[in-house]
Amino acid sequence: MVLGLICAIIAGTLVSLQNIFNSKVNEQAGSWMTTTLVLGLGSLASFILGLFFEGGQLFDLQQMKWWYWISGLLGIGVITGIVQGIRYLGPTFAISIVLTSQLGFAVLLDSLGWMGLEKVPFTLKQLFGVVLILGGVIVFKWSEGRKKEAIDLPARNEKKLEVS
Amino acid sequence: MRGFVFALLGGAFITLQGVANSRISQDIGTWQTATITQFAGFLTALIILMFAGNGNWQRLRKVNPLYLIGGTFGAIVVFGNVTAIHFIGVTLTVSAMLISQLGMTVMIDGNGWFGINKQKMKLPQVIGITMMIAGVIVLGL
Repeated sequence: MVLGLICAIIAGTLVSLQNIFNSKVNEQAGSWMTTTLVLGLGSLASFILGLFFEGGQLFDLQQMKWWYWISGLLGIGVITGIVQGIRYLGPTFAISIVLTSQLGFAVLLDSLGWMGLEKVPFTLKQLFGVVLILGGVIVFKWSEGRKKEAIDLPARNEKKLEVS
Repeated sequence: MRGFVFALLGGAFITLQGVANSRISQDIGTWQTATITQFAGFLTALIILMFAGNGNWQRLRKVNPLYLIGGTFGAIVVFGNVTAIHFIGVTLTVSAMLISQLGMTVMIDGNGWFGINKQKMKLPQVIGITMMIAGVIVLGL
């Protein structure tokens, strides 16, 4: 349980760092070049870490099925969905929906027990937990949206700083 | 409405990808999954980039090199995501990831790291994150 939570927390922290870094690349290079670079480097880094931890076993792909490739294409759907969502709705509203949808589908997949997941029945407890989290997301994002509108203009003239 | 559908699908795909990767890793291993799925995404994005016709790599030179390596984090993100789903299921994994993501954002804003304008944490943000953590505790009980 604790190990799982730690893994999730590390992953979440890196996602937020990655979002910032990628948006800096995005400003110069556009979204498809950024996506190409990010996924290419991610794949390369996984390959190197895999070689380091598993050596030649990394190439043992006997159980490989063709549809495993498709999971990677979901990433393209993720980026298209988010970029287009932000274009139509603005970042605050769009990201709130993305986060809500993420959690909603997580509960759905858990309760259906799809793809080898251990079935977690949907109970009042789950409902209460999810409502609390979503309420928190909305409160958090809503305040952020107002803050952004207020500082939008002066922020544009700000010089880009190097990391200290 | 169209924007709503896009954003909804974006979120759904993030979760689906985690679950699919977690399933795939049972067969071929976690690093293999991270390598193959990101490579498939890379190839597809590269093809789209070529067709979109604005593949001028020179533009990457204007970016601070530190920011260019953000992609390598993807290895640990996929590994952490898949391992967490194995141990604690999708709902808790996604919840914990959301909280640490928003928490990190608040820390970066608060300290003005990476050239972001320094912003103090506001009360609604404290309330929001507290509610989310309470929700995760309820789910994990």
